[in-house]
Amino acid sequence: MLLQEVPVNTFNYMLLGFSAILGIMALFLISLVVRFRNLYRDLEQLEGNDVNERTYTTGF
Amino acid sequence: MEPIPKILKVLNWITSALFVVALYMVLFFAPREAVMGDVQRVFYFHVSAGWVGGLAFLVTAIASGVYLARGDHRWDQIALASVEIGLFFTLANIISGSIWARPIWNTWWTWDPRLVTASIMELVYIAYLLLRQGVDDPDRRARFGAVYSIVGFISVPITFLSIRIFRTIHPVVIGSSDPAAMSSLTMDPKMRVAFFFSLFTFTLVYVTLLWHRLRLQHLAERVEQTKMKVLSA
Repeated sequence: MLLQEVPVNTFNYMLLGFSAILGIMALFLISLVVRFRNLYRDLEQLEGNDVNERTYTTGF
Repeated sequence: MEPIPKILKVLNWITSALFVVALYMVLFFAPREAVMGDVQRVFYFHVSAGWVGGLAFLVTAIASGVYLARGDHRWDQIALASVEIGLFFTLANIISGSIWARPIWNTWWTWDPRLVTASIMELVYIAYLLLRQGVDDPDRRARFGAVYSIVGFISVPITFLSIRIFRTIHPVVIGSSDPAAMSSLTMDPKMRVAFFFSLFTFTLVYVTLLWHRLRLQHLAERVEQTKMKVLSA
């Protein structure tokens, strides 16, 4: 009984390991979402400018 | 907003579902390893992340080669998108390996050939992004990037083979019966199922992310073109 092998308690390290992997993957996903949002915002602004410019030039 | 293609939507759902199943398999289906305990479960995702890193850099090298041969910028975009994904997954691989090593090797870091070559590989591809940042002309940027990524790909097989070529304490997982392997990890059938399922799921995650990253690249180009149009009007 005393010599019975018991696995070491490494549960906390397992949690830390999975948190690191999932955290890094989540970071990449968040970076994708943020960059998509920023680009769509830029595009909306630019196309808005484009429309205003055309309105301005054709108006004269 | 540009609509997401239907196939990509389906792929998103399949990948998410498989990822949840993979997580269940490594946490509950695979048995606890007798010596290392629960921390060994990290290995399934650790190896899968490393695999995606290597695969992503392989795709980069191939796309770069095709770009140099054909001069089509779409291949340069694939190379760039793939490097970015590869860097994130390699980072996940290195950090999870370090966390696994703490209770098993009693240290967060050791100058083991596998750890060193994996870190060098990560730095090689960070340098790829820095190189691209430093070149303004898009054609030169794509050409320099392509040549660099093909040369830099040497770091990938060196990392993979380092545990066979050099004396190392890192366990050999794929081909663990190889007599050149100093230490190996033997898996029971349930562990093997969880391992290959994780590998497959991570490969699918890579494909899905690559598709999204390429869509981002196209959007960035559209913004750039609109900007030029507005400025020249």
